[in-house]
Amino acid sequence: MKKLILQIAVLIAVFFAVFTLSKQINWMKLFKVDKLTKSTEDKLGDLIWKSYSATITEETNYVVINAIDSIVNKICTANDIDSSTIKIHIIQKDEVNAFALPGNHLAIYTGLLQDCDNADEVAGVIAHELAHMQKNHVMKKLIKEIGMGAIISLTSGNSGTVSEILHLLTSSAYDRKLETEADITGVDYLMNAEINPEGLAQFLFRMATTEKDMPKAIYWISTHPESEERAKDIMARIRVSKKKNFTKSADQDWAIVKKELDKE
Amino acid sequence: MNTFSYTPSEHELEKASNSYLMSLVALIAGMPLPIINLVATFFFYVGNRRGTYFVRWHCIQALLSQLSLLFMNSFGFWWTVSILFGPETISNKYLAYIISVFLFNIIELIATIYSAIQVRKGHHVSWWFYGDITQIICKPKL
Repeated sequence: MKKLILQIAVLIAVFFAVFTLSKQINWMKLFKVDKLTKSTEDKLGDLIWKSYSATITEETNYVVINAIDSIVNKICTANDIDSSTIKIHIIQKDEVNAFALPGNHLAIYTGLLQDCDNADEVAGVIAHELAHMQKNHVMKKLIKEIGMGAIISLTSGNSGTVSEILHLLTSSAYDRKLETEADITGVDYLMNAEINPEGLAQFLFRMATTEKDMPKAIYWISTHPESEERAKDIMARIRVSKKKNFTKSADQDWAIVKKELDKE
Repeated sequence: MNTFSYTPSEHELEKASNSYLMSLVALIAGMPLPIINLVATFFFYVGNRRGTYFVRWHCIQALLSQLSLLFMNSFGFWWTVSILFGPETISNKYLAYIISVFLFNIIELIATIYSAIQVRKGHHVSWWFYGDITQIICKPKL
């Protein structure tokens, strides 16, 4: 009996030894899993955007487009993010909303731009969404909600769940852990870009107050809950960083941007 | 390879050899479910539980050799299911596990085919560990 117990122990030990040794090899790199995942994400993003773009009108005003481009570029350059991979879409809609889609599609509603008091607030929202993209939150959320199987089936020609995914990404929240990570990373992005991160906190504070008073469809808040607590967390993060000097991003232009938006 | 307590007949050799082949049935059918191998071997054992000592002995050894793989394969199977339909993502840990399990399955597959051939030739094959348990479980008389 002693011999058998010893043999069982040896068998288990051998398996775990093989498993531990196997873990030392970077199989993800060897099988090019990251590349495959990226290509699936890009395919999925293009598929979703193709379906979504048929239902919306994109902003064509160059003053607005250039202002957003310049904010995105500034954040990307300061944080070693390849800005050419970010596909920015400014959508003509009154709702206060912005969201990231797979394949680095960043959608911002004109309603949100009109609601922002200054460019720092817009930069705050953009940095937050960029953080979702860079931290792979979009795919994590999709995999959690609909599963990898449905995603693969979708990218291989089954178009059944595109509207479900779209609804999921535009009007439902990430979990609190991912939101906090996006807030913190977003603040770091802003500070690296010398943009005042208080803009994001101010936007969240204002949205939290407005939410109580107005029945208006403030989607960004419904998809980003507990905004007041998060704004406080952001302020705490800024205090810890001890960084005080920020150049105002594109503040002087924001009144012009809003004026252009009001014309429409 | 050991000698058995008696010389089995041709008919016994065929049945005993088949018990190993039964464990390969799921593999041949291309079934990914890890329990199929075990079920196939188990039913073969049930069908031969009143067989001769030599046949029963090899049926039990074939059955037991499936058990440890069942745990490894089941865990890998449900891990894969949770990646395809659940919140899990493909990680290096997952790939390392699947490759380790694959390696153990290959070793078991080679050992099974080897045993089937040897037993059919009339040689008694007693595996390390599984042979010892079989010796405890399987007695000459019912």
